[in-house]
Amino acid sequence: MAHPPEGSRPEPPDVLPGFEHVRRSWNATHAAYAARILPGEYYVTKSEEGIYTTLGSCISACIRDRVSGIGGMNHFMLPASGKDEPAAWTASGLGAATRYGNYAMEHLINVILRNGGLRKSLEVKIFGGGRVLENMTDVGNRNIAFVREYLKTESLSVVAEDVGDIYPRMVVYFPATGIARVKRLRSLHNNVIVSQEKAYIDAIVEKPVAGEIELF
Amino acid sequence: MTMTASELVKDIGGLVTLPDVYLRISRLIDDPKSASADIAKAVSQDPSFTVRLLRVANSSLYSFPSSVTTVAKAVAIIGTSQIRSLALSMSIANSFAGLPNELVSMKNFWRHSLFCALIARHLARQVRGCDPDTLLTAGLLHDIGELVIFNRLPGQSRDALLLVLDSQDQLPVHQAERQVLGFGHDQVGGELARLWNLPPLLEECIAHHHVVADARRHPRQVALVHLANILALMAELDTFDSADVPPIDPLAWELTGLDADCVEPAVREAQVEIAVVEQLFT
Repeated sequence: MAHPPEGSRPEPPDVLPGFEHVRRSWNATHAAYAARILPGEYYVTKSEEGIYTTLGSCISACIRDRVSGIGGMNHFMLPASGKDEPAAWTASGLGAATRYGNYAMEHLINVILRNGGLRKSLEVKIFGGGRVLENMTDVGNRNIAFVREYLKTESLSVVAEDVGDIYPRMVVYFPATGIARVKRLRSLHNNVIVSQEKAYIDAIVEKPVAGEIELF
Repeated sequence: MTMTASELVKDIGGLVTLPDVYLRISRLIDDPKSASADIAKAVSQDPSFTVRLLRVANSSLYSFPSSVTTVAKAVAIIGTSQIRSLALSMSIANSFAGLPNELVSMKNFWRHSLFCALIARHLARQVRGCDPDTLLTAGLLHDIGELVIFNRLPGQSRDALLLVLDSQDQLPVHQAERQVLGFGHDQVGGELARLWNLPPLLEECIAHHHVVADARRHPRQVALVHLANILALMAELDTFDSADVPPIDPLAWELTGLDADCVEPAVREAQVEIAVVEQLFT
């Protein structure tokens, strides 16, 4: 891709239906547009553009068809299980809490497949699940365990990952090439990132996922 | 409508004050008639400061051959001017406990400051005209303005941090603060140092650690704190990749005469020292 001359930038690439609301901005370092996703959101593209997000204890799965280059990223976490749901975290993901994870993963995969991606060509990278707050139960680890189990069940292989540890992360992913750049963020950002994630999880707990997910 | 950095600082003047022990020691040191015995006496009047001073004097931070058991001995060995910086450093965390905020935990805030302090002290040993203990204090205080704006302007401070994240961490925090608040934590810290009559060297290091070219009287020390701040982020993030941290101003290399070879030893040493020092200062 030719770099545009200094001071000018190309028009943003076409956006797939359903993602018109996602804010995209020009990134000088990567000389490309990048879509910004927040907790609970996802984005899929067929173009040469990036997708980025910041992760505390949340997980982002970056999935693409390695042949056609169509792919995307999600950003999710599982809510803490309520006291009345002791079995919510059992392995097979049938508990109410894991529905949010399944929902996030299936939506991302389904939209990739609906736009021409082939299941047999999918490759996956996973990021996040940090233990960014001390004295907090390790929700990051639970999210990591969930996504690993999910991908195993779906027979999708993970080609790269950077999960766990104590740092929040900034992830930029380019589905066209499969390149993901992960940057650890300083602890100054911990509380802002955690509060964004908390606002998301509080919102989904209040308004549960409705309906069944269509499987391909 | 919009507030300036100096108005903001005047606003908190009554909330955060320098502890009496620092002011007393400071006055005695500036007084040519006072002897080190007077200073030891002033220290002894503050029991909690005495205890912490002895802990510091006996720690690996100062590798004295024998144990330091009395204040008089501590003052004699550490030196009166260093006692002043120690008093300042050790009391400042306490005085800011009255200025809580929800954006950064005190532990994480002081951890970064301590990394910067240890690295500034390490680098100062290699730079002519830089006193390691003064630079330790400068490093410890460099971000003090952050605690002021996080407490007084929490919503705007949060917006500034969100702007940094939205920029893919490309926009530096102090620039995001200028965009949202009209001034940065560096400028606020400088105003606070001036209000407190801290030595001009400390004031400049705090005020200009992001914009080295603005330093007037102590450019070399300011440049050193600029370097130490970025190396402190490397220590925290456990990385030596310069793409993981904000860029170093080339002027800082020029003014200090240091080069990239100094980075790794300084960062590694600080990563070892931090555990001990964190206990002393919290």
